[in-house]
Amino acid sequence: MQRWIRTLTATVAVTAAALAPVLATPALAQAQAPAGYPADYANLIVAARKEGKVIVYGATDTNAVNPLIKDFEALYPGVRVEYNDMNTTELYNRVVSEKAAGGTSADVLWSSAMDLQIKLVNDGLALAYKSPETPKLPDWSVWKGEAYGVTYEPIVFVYNKRLLKPDEIPHSHADFARLLREKGDRFKGKVTSYDIEKSGVGFMLITQDSKVNPAFWDLAKAVGGVSPRFQSSSGTMMERIGSGENLLGYNVFGSYAMLRAKKDPGIGWVVPTDYVLIMSRVMFIAKTARNPNAAKLWLDYILSKRGQTIIANQSELGSVRADVEGELTAAGLAKTHGNALKPIPVGPSLLAFLDQNKRLEFIKQWQQAMGARK
Amino acid sequence: MTTPVPSLAAASGWRFFPTRGLVIALTAITVLVPLGLIFYQSLLNAPFFDSQASPGLAAYAFIFDDPDFWDATKNSLIIAGSMALIAVPLGGALAFIMARTDLPGRRWIEPLLLVPVFVSPMVLSFGYVVAAGPVGFYSIWASQLFGTVPWNVYSLPSIAIIAGLTHVPHVYLYSSAALKSLGSDIEEAARMSGAGPLRVALDVSLPMITPALLYSGVLVFFLGFEIFALALVLGDPEGHLVLATYLFKLTNKLGTPSYHLMAAVAVCIIGITFPLVMLQRLLMKNASRFVAVKGKAGRQRPLALGPWRWLAIGLIGLWLFVSVFVPLSGVALRSFVTYWGEGIQLSEVLTLEHFRTVFGQPALMRGIFNTIAIGVIGGLLSVVCYAAIGLAMHRRNDRWSRFIDYLALVPRAVPGLLAGLAFLWVFLFFPPLAPLRTTIFAVWLAYTVVWLAYGMRLIQSSLLQVGPELEEAARSVGASAARTSRDVTLPLIRHGLLASWLLVFMIFEREYSTGVYLLNPGTEVIGSLLVSLWATGGADMVAALSLINVVLVGCGLAIALRFGVKLHD
Repeated sequence: MQRWIRTLTATVAVTAAALAPVLATPALAQAQAPAGYPADYANLIVAARKEGKVIVYGATDTNAVNPLIKDFEALYPGVRVEYNDMNTTELYNRVVSEKAAGGTSADVLWSSAMDLQIKLVNDGLALAYKSPETPKLPDWSVWKGEAYGVTYEPIVFVYNKRLLKPDEIPHSHADFARLLREKGDRFKGKVTSYDIEKSGVGFMLITQDSKVNPAFWDLAKAVGGVSPRFQSSSGTMMERIGSGENLLGYNVFGSYAMLRAKKDPGIGWVVPTDYVLIMSRVMFIAKTARNPNAAKLWLDYILSKRGQTIIANQSELGSVRADVEGELTAAGLAKTHGNALKPIPVGPSLLAFLDQNKRLEFIKQWQQAMGARK
Repeated sequence: MTTPVPSLAAASGWRFFPTRGLVIALTAITVLVPLGLIFYQSLLNAPFFDSQASPGLAAYAFIFDDPDFWDATKNSLIIAGSMALIAVPLGGALAFIMARTDLPGRRWIEPLLLVPVFVSPMVLSFGYVVAAGPVGFYSIWASQLFGTVPWNVYSLPSIAIIAGLTHVPHVYLYSSAALKSLGSDIEEAARMSGAGPLRVALDVSLPMITPALLYSGVLVFFLGFEIFALALVLGDPEGHLVLATYLFKLTNKLGTPSYHLMAAVAVCIIGITFPLVMLQRLLMKNASRFVAVKGKAGRQRPLALGPWRWLAIGLIGLWLFVSVFVPLSGVALRSFVTYWGEGIQLSEVLTLEHFRTVFGQPALMRGIFNTIAIGVIGGLLSVVCYAAIGLAMHRRNDRWSRFIDYLALVPRAVPGLLAGLAFLWVFLFFPPLAPLRTTIFAVWLAYTVVWLAYGMRLIQSSLLQVGPELEEAARSVGASAARTSRDVTLPLIRHGLLASWLLVFMIFEREYSTGVYLLNPGTEVIGSLLVSLWATGGADMVAALSLINVVLVGCGLAIALRFGVKLHD
């Protein structure tokens, strides 16, 4: 029965693909290549329908991904998305060990641990695929036609609105460091950030800071001077800031802060004016994908204007495209923060700190700056 | 009178019962293979599935060179030591009060004393953060009263004290069992010569149960090295590491998985815990020998406490308040508010949203469903396995029985977190098992092995109550060993088996660390979801799931009390 339905769907799809240019009714246009795509894209859609599903391993909350899945499945009926939500370390471990064990694995890998994703691509786990959307994407967000940064998430300061005085709110990294130096007693034990030994993302952000900010180690000393509290995730940090246990959070994902602020009126956030790190969740297709066509369809959809509009407005992750409007998107932030924007390039520069010795050395240096803590 | 047993029935008996050799072999494989993998992995310098892995001691060199490792070892020792120092006197005192005095309301208090044993430490720890953290519900009330918060739950002493208080029941169980087996005549003599209750407790009762106190002291000290949730949740903000959290931290420290380092830490932990398990075994043997020579278990007359009873009630009440009521009320309150903290009127932020979110997320719903299934169905299957092993050893005092006896102790020494990791490897790299990795079976197998020693103790205490003459009677009329087990031994211990099922249910509901590395879509259980959600900061979900978990355990406890199941052996 099921096979029969699948065959029927495929047949309908082929017929539709053939008739689409002639009929061009909205219902049948679905099998047509989207505007601007190569003409043979319709074949890809048909092949994807034959595969019937795409398996995605992702580190983004299911809640944020659901609107994308719904819209994708509505756009391409017959292609299901199997989304497996896990944290970034699990994702990496799972991919590596599944590769070693030779069992089934994912078609698409999508993670906020940009460095680990690049390592996987560098180790040859990615399928080369140049998305037709590539011309619409900024250069820094694509590597080798294999890895794509698909979101645009500024790294912000988060603070407790009830307990922080308006004149204490830091607007730049320099402000932040000065505040901690001048009011050391008030902020003792009240500043929170990532534990860089526990959180790979936290580590990546700090190392990017150290590259972008010439006064980084002064800032680190200022942070170390107020006995900071380290957590392993943005969520835990914001829970503590919302409750007033901590007052200020450093290096928090703007996307999460915005979502949280909607629920908890005690949470405030600032996009720094001197420089803003921009994080982008990296997506690529696995070389061993069992459903490569469906995987390509999914990646192209995510990068398309339609997909990015949902990323910006429903998933609240920020669009990487310049032609999608919104407050926390590439386009929106370009207007307010212009030159201060420092996207973390999707590329091999991220690999530097995965070298064991370099990593441990950085951790040691950071711990020394945090010296006052223990 | 005697009916010859038809040989057909005897033969069919063999079909119903796995043969002894098979049981022993399966047990040995499921216990030793994961453990062997850990040892093997610790002697490589890369994950064992990495093509560049080669043998060497680099992993040990790395951790011995890491100041964090020594820091964690020191903290683990401090915590384990203070746990023993706190739990042994309090547990002993509690046992004396409950078993020997006329404290009013003992029947009501008794089940409450065991609550900390069955509540997930993850739930308790989270409860302490929201109840007694710097801006916790109770801390805010305290600061309104005193002007400041007089405690800091994130400090190392606080963690040690909380760990100690929550382990009082372990000491209580063994000490009260020992006290109950002794007559109270000596105490009455002391009382008649004018000694007060305190004097009787300190100079007569407690010295008599020294072996039990010693044994439970070692047990609590040993459990101290397994502390994970408390240190994970409460130790994070100030960076206090213990061995188990150090191991967890290594997952990410090098950016990519450093299984070899984790395995090396695991071997170090086992190096500390295994001797302790052996010591417990030795003490247990001596304890029973020591108790056996103590007078006849005569009549026990409760000691009149007089005015002391208020002190006793106050102490028990205070302990229950601090170690049960504060954290659980914190969890309950947090699960019904949108946000919390300084300057927030709780009545204005009440919500049911968190539960709606939990019920709306398939992964979390699967987690709840799996948790119930693994407790009810998995618990039953585990008891069946434990019973099979128990019967394989029953009345056979040979080499193999002793082998299984020791084997059952081995997983006890491996922290759940690691056992889970080892099972993940087994499921990944043993192709016939691979399809089961993403099913709840993987978690069940790990749980069953981790709790093997506990389950075996439950089964064996039931089996001990069966008089040998009944089985001998069956054998003498020609029944095979299998048939004897099926028709005589098993029916006789069926109540014991049911009680074990209930206890295993509660232990499985409570378990959290074993499932952490096995967490996959399909294998979610509340325990591992709590750890994972906590790490990603989903405190709303953690609160709601914690409350659901407490309710599940509560149901088990209520059933146990309703049917009069003894909560300990």
